[in-house]
Amino acid sequence: MNDYPRRITLQEWDAHYVQLREAGMREPPYGGTLRRHVEEGDLRLRTLLFDNSSAALRLWNFLLTEEDRLREARTAGKKIVGTMKDLGTVPVMAYALPNVVAFYPDGAWWIPCVMELSEGLFGIADSLGIDEAFCPVRAMLGAFITEAHFPVPDLLICSAGATCDDFSAIAQRLNGLGYPIVWWEIPHRRIPDPDEERVELPGGFAAPASQVAFVREELERLRTVLEQFAGVPLNDGALSAGIARANEVRRLLAELRQLTFTAELCPLPALEMLIAEMLAIHFCSDQAETIEVLRELLREVRGRVEARQGVLEADAVRVFWVNPVADLQVMNLLEDCGGRICGTEYLFSHALDEIPENLPPMEALARMALADPMVGSAADRAARICADTRRFGAEAVLISRIPGASHCATEGIIIAEAVRSRLRIPVLEIEVPPLSDSIKPMLRTRLEALIETSKELRKTCCVPE
Amino acid sequence: MKTVVYVSPFVPQEWIAAHGLQPSRVLLEHTKRVAIAQPAAGVCPFARAFIAFGLSLTDESAIVATTECDQMRRAAELLAGESSAPLFLLNVPTTWQTTTAHRLYISELERLSAFMVRLGGKAPTKEELTDVMLRYDALRAEIRGARGSLSGRAYSEAISRFHREGAADLSAARAAPLARGVPLALLGGPLTGEHFRIFDLIEEAGGQVVLDGTETGERTLPRAFERRRLHEDPFPELADAYFGTIPDAFRRPNSQLYHWLKGETARRGIRGIILRRYLWCDTWHAEVQRMKEWSPAPVLDLDVGDDDCESRAASRIQSFVGMLR
Ligand code: SF4
Ligand code: SF4
Repeated sequence: MNDYPRRITLQEWDAHYVQLREAGMREPPYGGTLRRHVEEGDLRLRTLLFDNSSAALRLWNFLLTEEDRLREARTAGKKIVGTMKDLGTVPVMAYALPNVVAFYPDGAWWIPCVMELSEGLFGIADSLGIDEAFCPVRAMLGAFITEAHFPVPDLLICSAGATCDDFSAIAQRLNGLGYPIVWWEIPHRRIPDPDEERVELPGGFAAPASQVAFVREELERLRTVLEQFAGVPLNDGALSAGIARANEVRRLLAELRQLTFTAELCPLPALEMLIAEMLAIHFCSDQAETIEVLRELLREVRGRVEARQGVLEADAVRVFWVNPVADLQVMNLLEDCGGRICGTEYLFSHALDEIPENLPPMEALARMALADPMVGSAADRAARICADTRRFGAEAVLISRIPGASHCATEGIIIAEAVRSRLRIPVLEIEVPPLSDSIKPMLRTRLEALIETSKELRKTCCVPE
Repeated sequence: MKTVVYVSPFVPQEWIAAHGLQPSRVLLEHTKRVAIAQPAAGVCPFARAFIAFGLSLTDESAIVATTECDQMRRAAELLAGESSAPLFLLNVPTTWQTTTAHRLYISELERLSAFMVRLGGKAPTKEELTDVMLRYDALRAEIRGARGSLSGRAYSEAISRFHREGAADLSAARAAPLARGVPLALLGGPLTGEHFRIFDLIEEAGGQVVLDGTETGERTLPRAFERRRLHEDPFPELADAYFGTIPDAFRRPNSQLYHWLKGETARRGIRGIILRRYLWCDTWHAEVQRMKEWSPAPVLDLDVGDDDCESRAASRIQSFVGMLR
């Protein structure tokens, strides 16, 4: 039994949960009320608005129980690999092995927001010399020290090279504290010279064949590391099967994104879509369950689209969102101001694009790794953002600056210029700290201005070319 | 002759000279240039000065930028679109312990060669490259040899001038031993022209820089070439002398930096380290606390912003050196 789709508060979820249970809702073992996560410290949930479907409940519960899953995996004798920074490539390899679970310690990025700073991770990072000049991923250091948010992995693999300085510096700090790290190089993706062999990458970028070959060699090196770690061979057959499973997740997400971003009425709120997209990176430590969670969500969205039901006003302005937002509440705020998300680039588009299955698996993975929007130029990333903005028919672009992030200082300007000149639609750049309550009125004013401007433009023309 | 300008120590001077072009590892100007560079907030002042410098060039010069940090990579992108000077972005791998990383660096130098040929340079024969390498190696040896007879500032300026002009000007060298203050290491990113004043501030406070570990100083001199390998095949020897041995904070892991510092600190009897870093430079910023925990000698964290406030730096240096005396 689901009510008419809408966004509800945590308090409303308490009563709604009881109703759903009484109506026969069946839940996975990690199911339960959202309220219990607040009791465990996820205080931010008290201020968020959630989708009211059982599919969304399952999604939230899946996300918020990852730590339990990792600890259970350890107890069950599974090996845990912490993959760092590459956002999507190495987990595909790790999950191709039996008995290995991979996750991103980088995910600690959101802990200070979700726990409303009660966990003290920034304080620990500060004491290690990693202060607010760095992006919120610095919370990861504290999470390693306290061991209160994830078990310390048995193996750490981190990409370096064309990455942000924040992460590279923080990972090095971690390494300096005595956590061994296997580093692998991801080179800055460049435009092939005219006399160079060119390789098309998933998502539309291109790279010189020599760079693809280089990354492939690096991944081969990781294959050996993983084989030794797991004590079993990681052959091409297993890798291909792993790629096929990852692609199943990506296909489900592609349909979910297409339906949600293009439906006349918005069938699923921005927050739930953000979490769903994040599942593509490392499957929230359970690949099979990720597929089930997404299937249920997709069924819900399909049903709503067919029934012409939505969670927001019909005239909500279609906004393309760039970068993950440090305070989840701001996704709600955009919707409160009359916007809806129609397209995203949360720094990991390469984890959403299907991995080619008609290539040798390591070649396919190398191409995927090089398709990372953050390893190329800001102009490349801007081009992709423009293409996807067009594809989803967004009417405005919102760039969410990440406090301290080394890439945000320059790329926001480049992306904004590209959007304005190519699409001639409004662009807004905001900076959102992990807890934005004190600047909420200012953020609201700016978001409202964006929405109003976009609505005004509707009267004058204005379909982007 | 076209001048090829760059700021990274991982661009081999000899490689450019051997192509018949003029290498110049430039000394940027901090205060004058930084004001005209956009954007501002969140960008390291050195990267901004580099942007401003690149924008001021004509097509008489060419720029070689590198990928050692995110900020420089993005500065290069900006300049590629807006500077009149042609730009080459050299991919310097951050990892260095694998043969793949070394091969990547070598292949990047080959790409740089093709770029220089397009600029009007000529790819050198083995003999030509060997000759140039021997010449530069001798100049570096001469400069290294003069360390004891130069003040900290004069030694660093001599290195910087060598990088800029390819000449060893040791006119400031004195036969008599120099008066010594508290022996200190100066560590961190690159200096700009105005920043050599820090050596004076340290001396005025009663200290003396006996180890210049800034990016501008002796830390980033490549090791001496090994004669046998040089004569067998100069190019791999060139690549290894630069990529294989220059210690830096951006390298992953950056254990070489600590290894180098440990050795030099002991050899030179260093009693304190001044770590000088630019605001928004994550690479060096993240090393400050680690360095403090690691170093037996006290460490002073000196940050450099846009408006480089000398009096603040001077008083901090004074207290630091005072504590060590
Ligand atoms: S948010 Fe940006 S700066 Fe922070 S870790 Fe991610 S890519 Fe790096
Ligand atoms: S000082 Fe730091 S941030 Fe600035 S260019 Fe150098 S490494 Fe990059």
